[in-house]
Amino acid sequence: MESDNLAYMELAIHQAKLASESLEVPVGCVIIKDGEVIASGRNRTTETRNATRHAEMEAIDNLLEMWQRDGLSKAEVAKNFSQCILYVTCEPCIMCAAALSFLGIKEVYYGCANEKFGGCGSILSLHSSCSEPFISDKVPQRGFKCTGGLMASEAISLFRSFYEQGNPNAPKPHRPLVQKKVE
Amino acid sequence: MNKQLQQIIHIPPNPPVSPTHQPTEKVYAALIEPKHANTIIRRLNQIAPLQNLQHLKRIQKKQLQGGKPELYVVLCLASENETKSNRMPPDVEDIVNSYHLTPFITEVNKYAALSKEEWEEQCKLWPTSYHPPTYNIPGITGFSEEDSKAVFNFMKSTVELAKSGDHLIVNAAMIVDPLVGQIIASACDEVCSWHTGTSKAKTETCDFKQLEGFTSHVDANITAKDITFLSNGSANNLQQCYKAVSCLNPWWFAQQSFHSSPCYCHPLRHASIVAIEASAARDRHLFPGFGHNEKSYGVDCNSSSSVSLAKRQRVDLENVKNSGEQDANTEGSNSLGRPYLCTGYDIYLIWEPCAMCAMALVHQRIRRIFYALPNPETGALGSVHRLQGEKSLNHHYAVFRVVMPELEFPVER
Repeated sequence: MESDNLAYMELAIHQAKLASESLEVPVGCVIIKDGEVIASGRNRTTETRNATRHAEMEAIDNLLEMWQRDGLSKAEVAKNFSQCILYVTCEPCIMCAAALSFLGIKEVYYGCANEKFGGCGSILSLHSSCSEPFISDKVPQRGFKCTGGLMASEAISLFRSFYEQGNPNAPKPHRPLVQKKVE
Repeated sequence: MNKQLQQIIHIPPNPPVSPTHQPTEKVYAALIEPKHANTIIRRLNQIAPLQNLQHLKRIQKKQLQGGKPELYVVLCLASENETKSNRMPPDVEDIVNSYHLTPFITEVNKYAALSKEEWEEQCKLWPTSYHPPTYNIPGITGFSEEDSKAVFNFMKSTVELAKSGDHLIVNAAMIVDPLVGQIIASACDEVCSWHTGTSKAKTETCDFKQLEGFTSHVDANITAKDITFLSNGSANNLQQCYKAVSCLNPWWFAQQSFHSSPCYCHPLRHASIVAIEASAARDRHLFPGFGHNEKSYGVDCNSSSSVSLAKRQRVDLENVKNSGEQDANTEGSNSLGRPYLCTGYDIYLIWEPCAMCAMALVHQRIRRIFYALPNPETGALGSVHRLQGEKSLNHHYAVFRVVMPELEFPVER
């Protein structure tokens, strides 16, 4: 199981590298169901100019599109999510952690912690938020099992090399960008 | 239920503190004759200045039932350990004696209020003055009449947006450029009505159709003033099915008991998320060259965008002059005034957003959030979480609740 975890996280790291090659902040993920990779995603915030297009959101949308094409019912989609495990290189942010909880995902493994935006323990703990609703006809909140630190150093070194280049898409660079000479 | 007035309430980064939780200090106070007020205050300010209580008003006016006002004055600090009479400085004692005052001990707030809400709480104890910190975000220190009118009008049209179609009450989101009163993008919850294309190309077409939808808004150059008012009582339907509001009930999807109809649903397409997507699509459409060919930007600008650019640049200049710190506006804009993501834009929501939507709005750099109704179970802007007060986040918006008397509060108890 441990080696499986590493193998899946390797795939997520590969997605993060793809992001980096496209000048996107290097975060990647894969979603596993029944031991099979059923979706992958990487950050696309720059390309889409939509800062919510995180790796997790990309992978989730891929799944929903696929399941819609296959004509799955809502119940089947919900059941499927409850059997999914996400491997993501960086702790899901507050937005993604909330989204994963809404979907009722089974489990999440992440690489490095996200000390600025993390929603799975760093800033908020949305994965462990379970509470009885005040209004009885509402659906109770759902959490998910969450484990961090899987291949964290690989994830961090991706970030490091990305930011060392300088993020050309940041609103105002704090460091001068490395100018590549055009011959 | 008391009839509430239409108002805009700032929801501060920190929860307001009740006066019993704010540290207090004991002072001597006394009832004085109004005709002696000036003389006594002048004298007290000389002999017993309130050094560390600068925020405290020296005098308090209480309106009695008979209509006659009573004036109370703070004489001096009272030490907790000593008995009354021998702790008052002799000079103050002189005043007490010569005006036949009856000093009593009362509590006042020890520190100046940090927010308007805190200040309002303080004044229940003893009036204080409040000097709001100089924020860069307009509205925190209050709205002009014109600005509030624009806010109410945008909120009203957001309510209209949610009511239209099928009578199914959902959340609605409207992203607005406040400088020119222009709607950038608007959307409703799409968790139940999501249709994806079967191919990427089709998705693109869908995107483009949506885009035409909001560019027609742009062409019509809708301004706050043009938006027609909602008639009173038209929001009655809001009571009925608020369960369909995504942000209020985001876990509905995990429920196993729905019909096994084919899945045209996307549990994450809350109104804010869809609106952000639409604003990004608009940006890609208006500024297609961004990131590829710098020189192509701004060429396709229509006239209203140009007005927007000019106004934005002017305001940016003012911001630079007025604040030593870098303002988010100027930081985000490039030289042509095209904002970085939604920098400088406002969003109007009917319901306080959930954590997913609230964080999405952080990511997209929204400047101000206006919502009409609180979301007590899953709201992330004060009700359950308070993202505007999370220091570690790289962006902070200002949050306002717009109280609309015509809206009922179905989940507020």
